[in-house]
Amino acid sequence: MTELKRILHVEDDPSIQAVTKVALEAIGGYQVRSCSSGLQALEEVEEFDPHFILLDVMMPGMGGAETLTRLSERIDLTQVPVAFMTAKVQPGEIEHLRKLGARDVIIKPFDPMRLASQIRAIWDSGRA
Amino acid sequence: MPAPSPPRELSRLAALLRYEILDTPDESAFDDFTQLASHICDTPIALISLVDDHRQWFKSRLGLDVSETPRGISFCTHTIEGDGLFEVHDAQRDQRFRHNPLVTGEPHIRFYAGAPLTTPDGYNLGTLCVIDRQPRRLSEGQRDALMRLSRQIMRLFEERLQGHRYAEQAALHQALLNSAASAMVLTTADGRISGVNPTAERLFGYSERMLIDRSLTTALFPLDALVRRAAILSDELGETVEPGFAVLIAPLLEGRREMREWRLLHRNGDSVPVLLNVSAIHDEHEQLHGYIVSAYDLAHQENLQLRLQQIAAQVPGLLFQFCWRPDGSSSFPYLSEGLEDIYGLSAAEMAPGIAPIYSRVHLDDRARVLTSIRHAAATLTPWHFEHRIDHPRKGVIWIEARATPMRQADGSVLWHGLVTDITERKAEQTELDKQQEMNRRLLEALSEAVVACDAEGNLTLFNNTARLWHGLDAAQLSPEQWPQYYRLFQADGVTPMPYDQVPLLRALRGERIRNQEMTIVVHGTARHVLANADPMFASDGHQNGAVVVLHDITERKQIEVLQRDFVSTVSHELRTPLTSITASLGLICGEIVGEVPEHLQELLDIAHQNSKRLSALIDDLLDIDKLYAGKMRFEMQRQPLQPLLEQALRSNQGYAESYTVSIELGSCPAVSIEVDTMRLEQVLSNLLSNAAKYSPPGETIELWAETVDDAKVRVSVRDKGPGIADTFRERIFSKFAQADSSDTRQQGGTGLGLAISKELIEHMHGQIGFDSIPGAGACFWFELPCYPPQEAQP
Repeated sequence: MTELKRILHVEDDPSIQAVTKVALEAIGGYQVRSCSSGLQALEEVEEFDPHFILLDVMMPGMGGAETLTRLSERIDLTQVPVAFMTAKVQPGEIEHLRKLGARDVIIKPFDPMRLASQIRAIWDSGRA
Repeated sequence: MPAPSPPRELSRLAALLRYEILDTPDESAFDDFTQLASHICDTPIALISLVDDHRQWFKSRLGLDVSETPRGISFCTHTIEGDGLFEVHDAQRDQRFRHNPLVTGEPHIRFYAGAPLTTPDGYNLGTLCVIDRQPRRLSEGQRDALMRLSRQIMRLFEERLQGHRYAEQAALHQALLNSAASAMVLTTADGRISGVNPTAERLFGYSERMLIDRSLTTALFPLDALVRRAAILSDELGETVEPGFAVLIAPLLEGRREMREWRLLHRNGDSVPVLLNVSAIHDEHEQLHGYIVSAYDLAHQENLQLRLQQIAAQVPGLLFQFCWRPDGSSSFPYLSEGLEDIYGLSAAEMAPGIAPIYSRVHLDDRARVLTSIRHAAATLTPWHFEHRIDHPRKGVIWIEARATPMRQADGSVLWHGLVTDITERKAEQTELDKQQEMNRRLLEALSEAVVACDAEGNLTLFNNTARLWHGLDAAQLSPEQWPQYYRLFQADGVTPMPYDQVPLLRALRGERIRNQEMTIVVHGTARHVLANADPMFASDGHQNGAVVVLHDITERKQIEVLQRDFVSTVSHELRTPLTSITASLGLICGEIVGEVPEHLQELLDIAHQNSKRLSALIDDLLDIDKLYAGKMRFEMQRQPLQPLLEQALRSNQGYAESYTVSIELGSCPAVSIEVDTMRLEQVLSNLLSNAAKYSPPGETIELWAETVDDAKVRVSVRDKGPGIADTFRERIFSKFAQADSSDTRQQGGTGLGLAISKELIEHMHGQIGFDSIPGAGACFWFELPCYPPQEAQP
């Protein structure tokens, strides 16, 4: 059984990128690769070979949804769970994101102290 | 044998009734005749019998007890069908009578002889008959006597009838005299009073008894007037007329009937003005019988004249009677005293008809005045005209003239009318016109749209702005057609306005409308307006219409939208940096990146708490923005209530513990509710966290539910905090409300929680509220429609 180690984080805002990286590495002990755009993620995903992908929804240029679709052309997403990060959404939007292939949705603003355990829970729910 | 009924029978019966004798009491005059007949003919029975349609009735009877017998068996019927004496010598041997019950039984008639009672016009009313119980024959002398007696009886009938008629006539004359409006005095041929009627008694103050037999002229006429009249008559007739009764009858003797005014004497000495008329009374032989003097009371008429003058003096203006004759000449038979006041003319100046008045009519009005009078005269319609008069004393005045023309028998037209001075009213009218003009200009200058209608809902006013906004003017439409014709929509600018929501119509139905928001959409452009509408009342208090004033708020609405967009945009933009600040502070405070030096700990905690508050505020702002804009979506699902309360308890337990407060879940009925799970959680979190914040440490918050009636469930959250101050009750559910401004910081809320909760609950078809006694805690509750649990959807 694969161990959760590498997390690919796609987020255009450098501050959030940085905070997320600290939270996941310091608390969860994961290895985090931060990408500032969907394009960058597409370029690096195969090389990084993540166990989990954390995707921001609202990004300039290629949005989270499109990035997800394009990622699925490169790697087997049944083996790599994807979670979206987004500001509070209307009911129905979460459903929409799930249909696109996301395992779950993490609501911003997130609690940095709990973020690592949230991702762990999502990861575990897929294994159960 | 049955009695025959010849065609003449009906006329005969009518004649019988005319004499009014049937069923009258006995009269001795008739009994003398039966007595005489019995005596002459030497019979025990004699009768005066009258035959009507079914019986013979006896006006007088001798030797018989019954007063009538049936006509069918009567002997007399035979007599009246013939035209002379009818005699039966022996009834037992007579075919016609031998079986007659009057023959076979009482009174056992054997002999009968009847003479008919014949009227002058030939009808036999009945008989005078004699009867015996043995057979016999009358002698020639007896038969002749019986016929003569029957004729005498008939004469007696005639006299009796005549007597009745005289009595009726006399009663009629008396009634006429009594009821006559004129005083009537009857005199003998030489002028002595023989009778007076009640009017005469009243008019002259005497009773009839006091006047009887006195000389009329001595009793009622002043001597000096008689002397003057006598002198005039003597002169006229060329013979001496004595100053007494002769004065009254002398003209009559000359064949003149006079109607003359006299002043007679009342018993108390007053003078009584009368119109006197004397007629001679002759009897049937043209013999002078006396005189009837009638006196018509002129005082009554003089009073009327006086009254008219008094009334005319009260009427402001001039009362007149005007006669226009076919030859073009005219006159004023009556003019009241207002003549000078209206026309500046004295009565003396008025002699020659209408010309003086016409000359006073203002030059510019003359032609129209004349035309209108001619028109009214030609059509005989009432004349009503307002025009000016050049008054010699007052200058130009306005008058109003009204008159009604009547065509007289001689072809002239008689007008009755009234002329009044309306100068003052005209001035007021002019002032009123000016004011109305001013009001009209004011309305036109207003930047608000003003629309009015009358009591029947007819649009009566569209000011300039209203016409501009609608692109239309007031049209004759029923209120049902207003929304479509004038393109009226609700505040959202897309929902057509139901006609009964139109502010003007609501005001017409008596409501006062304040700030009703609506939209006028013309050529695809929406104009948002606030409508204020009121019923309008006439001075007598009756509603006579309604008015609406529309204020354009399109610009304000646009600014509101901009503001909302701004808040929304700013909030979104703030959230990203705030997320990283909050997260960073969280990591530092969580000592993830290393131990925090003690002297920094407190300040970092403050920064962390406040960054979290800022995030919450932004979330609330975005929520309320969505709610007010109607953009928040609700995923309604029917589900059991209990698990939702349990979940809320779990979610908020931690928060409550941070205030050292606990939450206790009490009873909950087994019902389902239809809600958006997330939104209900938001409301419960809000109420529970509020309760935690305001609870004293160590206290318990109670959470429970109960059904209010079969269709609703009430969820309550009770704390033991300070309760809600009276001054705060009204605005507790409005935006940014907290008990006082210092509270906001102290209690760490955004002030939007209850406003959002109210909107959320109402969107889910519920109601929210609270019960509180200041100092004794508060209980917030909401009610939602509920359903039996088995109806829960999966």
